[in-house]
Amino acid sequence: MFKELDPILHSQLRLAVVSLLIGVKEAEFTFIREKTNATAGNLSVQVQKLKDAGYIEVTKQFKDNYPQTTCKITPKGIEAFEAYVQALQQYLKVG
Amino acid sequence: MSEQIQENSQEKEFSPEESLQLIRSMISKTKDAVAVDSFYFLFWGWLVFACCAVEYVLMVYFKYPDHSFVWWSMPVGGIISGTYSARQARIKRSMTYIEEALSYLWIAIGLSFFVLVFVNIVSEAWKTAFTYYILMYAIGTFVSGKLIRFKPLVIGGILNFILAAVSIKFNFANQLLIGALAILISYIIPGHLLRIRYNTKK
Repeated sequence: MFKELDPILHSQLRLAVVSLLIGVKEAEFTFIREKTNATAGNLSVQVQKLKDAGYIEVTKQFKDNYPQTTCKITPKGIEAFEAYVQALQQYLKVG
Repeated sequence: MSEQIQENSQEKEFSPEESLQLIRSMISKTKDAVAVDSFYFLFWGWLVFACCAVEYVLMVYFKYPDHSFVWWSMPVGGIISGTYSARQARIKRSMTYIEEALSYLWIAIGLSFFVLVFVNIVSEAWKTAFTYYILMYAIGTFVSGKLIRFKPLVIGGILNFILAAVSIKFNFANQLLIGALAILISYIIPGHLLRIRYNTKK
């Protein structure tokens, strides 16, 4: 039987965000937006969903009087990502 | 791929191959995020090199007694370097694990220099100070080179381990020359090569 692909990660933009955060310790919202080429509105919505799932941590603070949002992957997020990649491998092996 | 993300972000259906491709492309984007600034190697490299050279000339050719005053440029350098890194931190938008490890490594080395300066002041250790300084350059450049996979820094670091051992056999004046050579091969040359690599990547 195939493992079900985690629906939270099986969405292009959310998967892109999590893959980016796997490689860095933390990244600003603007950095993620630039790398994924997403619109600010859409990215906000997806980041919120990842946060609600407990996959990422979002910190809001002020830097030089500008609001700054920083995202960081959580241990739960790393686990979910690993499980997702494993499930993908299973699909690809058979397919 | 990027445009695709934007268009399809609301869609749930995409193939495992596409998923894997997306993960691969995102991870490769963060690889470029490890930008090691050649500024620090070049700034400290040339500053220390100049201090060694000037002190040697003052000491050996002019017999000037207060030749060690040149090292007052170190705290000034610390302020310039600190201001630069504070400004860089403000514009930096991501932090990789390697960058974090590098920053702690160099903070530890900076603190070690403070301790060594103290030891030199309260004891006779200054006579062989460069043996320990060169050892510090060796650790810093070897580990940095390995972490960012940049061979010139690794080679510079290894050569400095050898120079540190060799330097103990020399008097202070000659240690200054060995110090200048050490900083040339571990900071200045790799620093310039790093800058060239960065500019060609751009």
